[in-house]
Amino acid sequence: MIKLVHGDIIVLLAGIGGILILARTFAELGKKIKMPVVMGEILLGIILGPTILGSITPEFCTWAFPKAGAAKVAMDGITSLAVVMLLFVAGMEVQLQIMLKQGKTAVYTSFTSMVIPFILGFSAVWLLPGFFTFASDRKLVYALFFGIAMAVSALPVISRILMDLNLFKTKVGMIVIAAAIFDDLIGWILFSFVLGLMGQEGEIKSIGFTIGMIVGFGLFMLVIGRSVINGALPWIQRKLSWPGGVLSIALGLCFLGAAFTEYIGLHAILGAFIVGIAFGDSVHLQEREREIIYQFVTNVFAPLFFVSIGFKVNFIENFDGALVALVFFLAVGCKVFGAALGGYMGGLTKRESLAVGFGLNARGAMEIILGTLALNVGLIDSKMFVALVVMALITSMMSGPLMKRFID
Amino acid sequence: MDLSKLKKRPAYPFETIAVAVSFSPRCLPVLAQAKYLADVLKATLILIHIGEKNSEKERQLDDLMNKLGMDDNHYRVIWMEGEPVETILKLCKLNMVDLLVLGALEKENVLKFYLGSIARNISRRAKCSVLLLTNPTEQPIRYKKIVVNGVENPKTVHTINTGFYLAKHLKSKDVTIINEVNVPGLTMAIADESTAPEAKEIKKHFNEEVEENIHSIIKKCDTEGINVTNKSIKGKPGYAISKYAKDRKADILVINSPDTHLNLLDRIFTHDIEYILAHLPCNLLIVHSRV
Repeated sequence: MIKLVHGDIIVLLAGIGGILILARTFAELGKKIKMPVVMGEILLGIILGPTILGSITPEFCTWAFPKAGAAKVAMDGITSLAVVMLLFVAGMEVQLQIMLKQGKTAVYTSFTSMVIPFILGFSAVWLLPGFFTFASDRKLVYALFFGIAMAVSALPVISRILMDLNLFKTKVGMIVIAAAIFDDLIGWILFSFVLGLMGQEGEIKSIGFTIGMIVGFGLFMLVIGRSVINGALPWIQRKLSWPGGVLSIALGLCFLGAAFTEYIGLHAILGAFIVGIAFGDSVHLQEREREIIYQFVTNVFAPLFFVSIGFKVNFIENFDGALVALVFFLAVGCKVFGAALGGYMGGLTKRESLAVGFGLNARGAMEIILGTLALNVGLIDSKMFVALVVMALITSMMSGPLMKRFID
Repeated sequence: MDLSKLKKRPAYPFETIAVAVSFSPRCLPVLAQAKYLADVLKATLILIHIGEKNSEKERQLDDLMNKLGMDDNHYRVIWMEGEPVETILKLCKLNMVDLLVLGALEKENVLKFYLGSIARNISRRAKCSVLLLTNPTEQPIRYKKIVVNGVENPKTVHTINTGFYLAKHLKSKDVTIINEVNVPGLTMAIADESTAPEAKEIKKHFNEEVEENIHSIIKKCDTEGINVTNKSIKGKPGYAISKYAKDRKADILVINSPDTHLNLLDRIFTHDIEYILAHLPCNLLIVHSRV
């Protein structure tokens, strides 16, 4: 049995403390040059991990951030919690009503910005398998994953861009938000499907079973679970200490949902994401409570997760220029084309459609989470992981300026 | 029927008011309120009954009209058989009705809500303004506290103006324009990249922007003698204003007509007007601006 000994506890606590303070420092410095917080955190991970510190002083790096043993297991546990919570807060921001409210343009944009990148991504693997590295029996799963990786958007980054450009309440802004919500929703459900197909031990599960479980759980939570949470929330706010009561129940439900989906053979992220949708949809959830949950997750757990990404691989050794270029140009091309086409079909002007396309092109944290989970289950190799991270970071950086160019 | 005239018709004044007569126990109070409004607004009142015309019903209607002192020479009564929702909507179009008055329960049972009651289905689809009366009394009431939705929408200017038109004629002193502030994704956008003063400034900016828009509309309206309050509240659109109207014991809530054709999905993933229809906080006027 693995047990944390005195030394492990010191290393673990010092590691967490150091990461949190340094991540905040990097994030604040990054803000000065308009760099997304997540980029600062990943950069720190790359510096502290095998890429830089590991190649200068490998002994210190191994001591401070062990690659095996009890402290490593504990840290992995913490980053797993972080991913689950990140998906929970991402779910909380999914407002299914936005799509219904925004009408035709949002429906077209959402659909094409998801489907076209997915089809092109899937086709790229299917038709050009030589460019990618995967196990021979996993071609379908890999192609599905790559299609999803091309299709996801990052609502947090997009929201920030829209806020900075003062586009939040404009027609273009609302369409981008509605489409990003749709892409997130479908993307994570599809990704859970892919992970579900792989199974926990890597065996391929039946498609029918996986789809049935996802649909069953999703419908149960979004119809019955959502009503129960909405009905119970006023009682929780009235009878339990505030805001602690709401925070405990929210995260409690998040972990129970995650545990349940993990138990039935799907990934924990699906449970957290769907519970997040059900919880965030409650009309009784106050803005302050929403903020507290976000602050807790994005400022305490998210940095630990994003910094830990830099520990996973050596970014220099695994940087494959051709693959990075392929992933980047494919991702940008199919997302901008897909989203702009939908916007144009929905009645936007050419410039507005391109602004929507570049807005939705930001992949940010969501793509990185997707890549990390795929790397963890052995679906992708380190080179593809690095290519996805680089693509996510560049698309997040370029979205704002390009969107502005077409809006002006 | 020249529907183009209907399309260009302004949201107010209410020149033709129709009331649905069902011969239920609430029929008399609903009719009393409709007659009161027609008198005050100097409108023509049409009584619509969907169902078979027979001597018993004619006698009942005469009784109702006598009780309210309505001379049947001055009021048109239309009898027509057919599916209630479709027939009432058709009659409203044919007769250029500006305001349709209906009685409605505050809350329907779950099944009826999802299937859609007559009053609520008409509210979702009508091409004229609709007034849902929740607790009408035989003694008509003058709406003293009016709450108007100031949501950012091209229709809102017409809705606010209709609210003031009503307030002026009913001599209401208190009109509150409510701006519901709900920006999806904003909390997430602020969460990890803003300092406390920045976050405060961003939120303040959003509130000010909305209030400024409403203020510019109010400035152009005739508000003489009316105490107008412009207020921003946070929460889900529809639900937040409904709660506000209920908490403030408003007499009537005035809102825009729906932007899209509402269906079952809108009731499952409730939003905007559906929150209000799910549980009417008070009398509800849905203004069809015909823009």
